[in-house]
Amino acid sequence: MGLAIETTGLTKRYDSLTAVNKLNLKVEKNTIHGFLGPNGAGKTTTIKVLVGLLRPDEGTVKVLGHEVHGDMPDVRLKVGYMPELPKFPKHLRGWELLDIYGRMYGMTRQKRMEQIPKLLDMVGLKGREKDFVGKYSKGMQQRLGIAQALLNEPELVILDEPSLGLDPVGMVEVRELIKEIAKEGRTVFLSSHLLFEVEQICSHVTIIHKGESLISDTLHNVSSKLSGPATVQVELAKTSETVIEAVRQLPFVSNIIQDDNMLTIELKTRDDVRAQISQEITKAGGVIVSMNLKGQTLEEVFMQLITKPQGGTAE
Amino acid sequence: MNGKTSLNWKTRFWAVVKYELLWNIRKKKFLGMMVVAFTLATLSLVLPALLSNMTGQPLKQNPDYVIGTGAGIGGLGMFLFAVVVVMNSISGEFESGTIVPLLTKPVSRTMVFLGKLLAAFITLLSAYAVLFIYMTVGGTIVYGPQNNLHLLPLTLLGTLLSTFVWIAIVLAIGTISKSSLIAALGTFGIFMALTISSPIISIFTDQAWVLNYIPGSGMTGYINGTNPQTPYTPGIAVATGTDNIAATLINYVLYPSSDVTFFKIGALRGQAQLVELYTEPLSTVLARSILVALAYIAIFVSVSWYAFKRAQILE
Repeated sequence: MGLAIETTGLTKRYDSLTAVNKLNLKVEKNTIHGFLGPNGAGKTTTIKVLVGLLRPDEGTVKVLGHEVHGDMPDVRLKVGYMPELPKFPKHLRGWELLDIYGRMYGMTRQKRMEQIPKLLDMVGLKGREKDFVGKYSKGMQQRLGIAQALLNEPELVILDEPSLGLDPVGMVEVRELIKEIAKEGRTVFLSSHLLFEVEQICSHVTIIHKGESLISDTLHNVSSKLSGPATVQVELAKTSETVIEAVRQLPFVSNIIQDDNMLTIELKTRDDVRAQISQEITKAGGVIVSMNLKGQTLEEVFMQLITKPQGGTAE
Repeated sequence: MNGKTSLNWKTRFWAVVKYELLWNIRKKKFLGMMVVAFTLATLSLVLPALLSNMTGQPLKQNPDYVIGTGAGIGGLGMFLFAVVVVMNSISGEFESGTIVPLLTKPVSRTMVFLGKLLAAFITLLSAYAVLFIYMTVGGTIVYGPQNNLHLLPLTLLGTLLSTFVWIAIVLAIGTISKSSLIAALGTFGIFMALTISSPIISIFTDQAWVLNYIPGSGMTGYINGTNPQTPYTPGIAVATGTDNIAATLINYVLYPSSDVTFFKIGALRGQAQLVELYTEPLSTVLARSILVALAYIAIFVSVSWYAFKRAQILE
């Protein structure tokens, strides 16, 4: 699978502050790639370099196979971008704005007539398209931001904090929308500081802190690499060797720690295997009082990573 | 690339022009300026007629009223039109953050810059044309049939060229400072400094030629036959600065082979006298005014373009 985004040694400084430090980022095509980091981690700066708003001080940037250096409008033909808390000209009506942006993408009138009502409907702005953008709420501008990012049916959609400023219903709708976009075969690169958002929709994740990439992999691997094996805690009415031995024979069990009637079962997998364990215990004559699957969440991984001492970043 | 999109640069360029034109004509500042211009134009037409009625003296017919006044848009009018049309054309985009979605569309920064310039030109052309038509109709009603109306397009062209000197200055200050306020105040400062210093230099010093090369109202001379003792009676005033190209163009068409004599105020036998400085052909005055205007436009527009092209979008 090819790469939608590739940065090598990307560095961006603002005077003495290094906002992005030798960042190597690889975003595979047809994935939803989360770009996670606390506020000020360098997420927006990286994205601004990707879309040509900022020039890197060092390193190379490739978007959809094209090296990006400076103002390269043709690369942007295939990229949809929604900035963090987007601001649009207040003097234009919602529909006019999308129509003008559509023209900038070189879309034909027929294509604009098809695409704009569809997008307005999709983002929930149908019926408000004739209002001036100046009258839109923050949430409506956010929705307009998503619509304009999808206008050109881009191969790569870059969303900078897409849920910021949205109410809880809006946030759920946006997450569903992003999943839909990915189903259409587009690559979504999504920056967020909302861990649950990334956990729910992303297949891949890069965690950035103080301008440096701390880890980049599939969401599953990121959790596995850092959290160690998942465990299942089972409380039995009465422990017996037969039950322990039966559980030990399961192929995904690596170790069992017994503490009175409480068994801590360490797993080789991060899949939910509680049903198989329960079945095996019952078959061996055990009676289960309670059972919990314990695995580290992305939030725990994230906290673990960013609280580690960092070095090398000038601030 | 999407099969239904067109890479036609004209479509993309006109999208930028439309984007900017809609902004220009919906600006409250611009609409306010048009109201003021029409009010002043109406007053200049109606007041003499009212005074004539009140004093009982018949209003003198003036067949050169329209061509003589150049539709009444003086240096201050051109300066104000320039400020309201372009003071926030680029700096306003930075201030509001709308520059981000705009520059991430597949239009180059040069295209955005040129689109904004063309939109300013179209806006001014339309505003001036409407004012010219209004003054022509009004002038004909108040002062009787008008001579040389066929020269009005030339007046329009000259007025636009003069205004574009101010446009270029406002744009350059705005693009470099990224502040509409600094653009407006900075240009106002330049305008006021030139307005105050020009007559002083022109009247009292031997170095008045300097005014031929700086923006503004320049120095004033009189066409052939001017009597230095009573210059206003027989003479036709010709001003050299970049603000007076329209009037100089008309004078050149009407008196193509005439010379212009420039004076300063000097002391002769203890009395203030007009002292002749130099005489030169009207064609030289016109050519120099146009070249100086074009040079300023080229310099300031180039500076703006370079600053815009190199700007890092931190907003």
